[in-house]
Amino acid sequence: MKKPDLSKLKEVDFKKAARDFVYGKPHGERRLGDLYIPKTGLYKHREWRGIKDTMYYFNNIWLYNYGMIVRDLMVYGGGPKGAVQFLKGTWRYRWMGQTYLTVMHWFDRCLEGMRGETLKASAWHFRGITSACLYQITGFFNRDLNIGGDPALRAKTIGTDETVWGGIIYPYMDQGGYYLPTQMIPYFVTCHCNNHTVLNYIDAVQAYGLPGDPCPMCQAEAGIYIEDDVPDSYVAMVTTNEACDSSVGTSVIQDWMMNKPLFAMPQVMQFDDDSVLENCAKEIEMAWRFIEEQTGLEFHWEELKKHIELQNKQTQFEREKWDVAANTHSYPINGVAQALYRIFYSQYGERPFWHDVDAKVKKIMEKCVNEDINTFPMTRHRVIAWSCAPLYYSAWCTWAYNCWGLNTIINMDSLMFDLDIRTDTYENCLMDIAKYHEWAPMRRMAVGGLQHIFELWENMEKFNCDMVMMYDQLQCKGMQGVVGLFEDEFRARNIHAIWMPHALPDKRTVPRSQIRQIINDYMFTVMGEEPLDPSLLDFDDIDSW
Amino acid sequence: MKAKKIIKRTLGLAAAAYAGLFCVFYFDLDGKLLYYVVEPFMKNHFDNMERRDPHTVPYDMLDSEYMDK
Repeated sequence: MKKPDLSKLKEVDFKKAARDFVYGKPHGERRLGDLYIPKTGLYKHREWRGIKDTMYYFNNIWLYNYGMIVRDLMVYGGGPKGAVQFLKGTWRYRWMGQTYLTVMHWFDRCLEGMRGETLKASAWHFRGITSACLYQITGFFNRDLNIGGDPALRAKTIGTDETVWGGIIYPYMDQGGYYLPTQMIPYFVTCHCNNHTVLNYIDAVQAYGLPGDPCPMCQAEAGIYIEDDVPDSYVAMVTTNEACDSSVGTSVIQDWMMNKPLFAMPQVMQFDDDSVLENCAKEIEMAWRFIEEQTGLEFHWEELKKHIELQNKQTQFEREKWDVAANTHSYPINGVAQALYRIFYSQYGERPFWHDVDAKVKKIMEKCVNEDINTFPMTRHRVIAWSCAPLYYSAWCTWAYNCWGLNTIINMDSLMFDLDIRTDTYENCLMDIAKYHEWAPMRRMAVGGLQHIFELWENMEKFNCDMVMMYDQLQCKGMQGVVGLFEDEFRARNIHAIWMPHALPDKRTVPRSQIRQIINDYMFTVMGEEPLDPSLLDFDDIDSW
Repeated sequence: MKAKKIIKRTLGLAAAAYAGLFCVFYFDLDGKLLYYVVEPFMKNHFDNMERRDPHTVPYDMLDSEYMDK
């Protein structure tokens, strides 16, 4: 019998191995890329973060969130009947049945390498987003006539484009008024959670004969209708022009294929002109009259005021977070958690689950500040991300920190809705709501005029950033028009900027590996730096979620 | 004595379930099940689902009355 080779055992530093087991490996030694199964993005095994953080992840994130998903389904769905509706919906709609079951892997991708308070605070953001998704998913299915939903609930529900702010339903919420952004769950969040599904909808549009070069977001949104994957959960629809003609094209297809009363609420793009604000306010009032006609609900000013005031509290806490992010090294929220949570709640509108998350995050953030915890200790560069992000690779921020020490402090979308809405009089409130509408995603900075897209410079200074991750949505004709202007400014201001090309939801145009390669090339050749974790430089995740 | 035995057995089962769940978590067995089994099954189901032809919806304007106001 061959004797076992014990010589390798002698080389093992048991003291260090024990320390790594208890505390986790230090950042430079983790080799997170070795954990992946090629192509799939699955893990050979999940990361060992030391005893404390691994058990926190297992108990308080993985187990807790699986449990909370069941809890949310029962609570939001209204008990066992809601659970049955959920199962029916999962079987009926691809965007649900093929997508959201993989939600915990979304947590994994975005929280890789995180430790301590950063892990906790960032995970709470994802808990909030997941809860908001389930609130909407059960909202869809409980009302959906395609799967035996409740017509009485449907009768008080208005469907909207996802960039119609959820506050439009505030005056009616005490009467059961319900707002369903029709693309947020079937399209937008799917791309982050599991980007396989959205490709069906893009392909459906092109197979139908529509051109393939407009914004793929609009293609996907229209594709959901062409694929007949839309729940019949609302009595009428409020659309908006979102940010471009392509979105208007989507509305035309939606209007045709859903065959419901529709109110088109145009939102001006060049919003600096005060006269357009009054026009926008009138459009909002007309939308309210439309909702009242279609649902029989009445406008309740006190109800509107109540929710606006609660929403203002969220905005005020957001500013506290920005203050910590800008002026300390103790901000415990990673780039992807910051970006997704902020855009989700500011667009969807005030609901109880956001306040629960904010209370928990506030506690963690205060601890970090009071104890002067350096939450991202391997930060080499403080990055501001600008323009519209790749939905299929929102977790790039996590990768960039782990691989290169690029810490994404803030992003453009987080800064859009920076407005306290007045509630002293109806007129002031209406004007501020109009302003809030005008500042919608893809509009406030992206198409709001050159001076607004150039707010980058002041925010870069405000958040003490030394590098820009400049998103380059290849099929956005609006943003393509300012590439040269940005190039000139970056040069003139001597700013390190990395252009990140992408096609919003469609990973086939610029794969994630190519995005990583672009960042790697810049860091090696321009910055002359070496990676913190070389195993993350190049790996194949082409078929991953 | 019997109560003690039941408590012991319950605690033992709970500990075994907890350890089992930790294995599922650590070796990403939930991810592997979803990726290799559940998703292909659901994809196949959705790919073969009968769907309404969108052209059957009439192209007219239900909201014309409202818009005329």
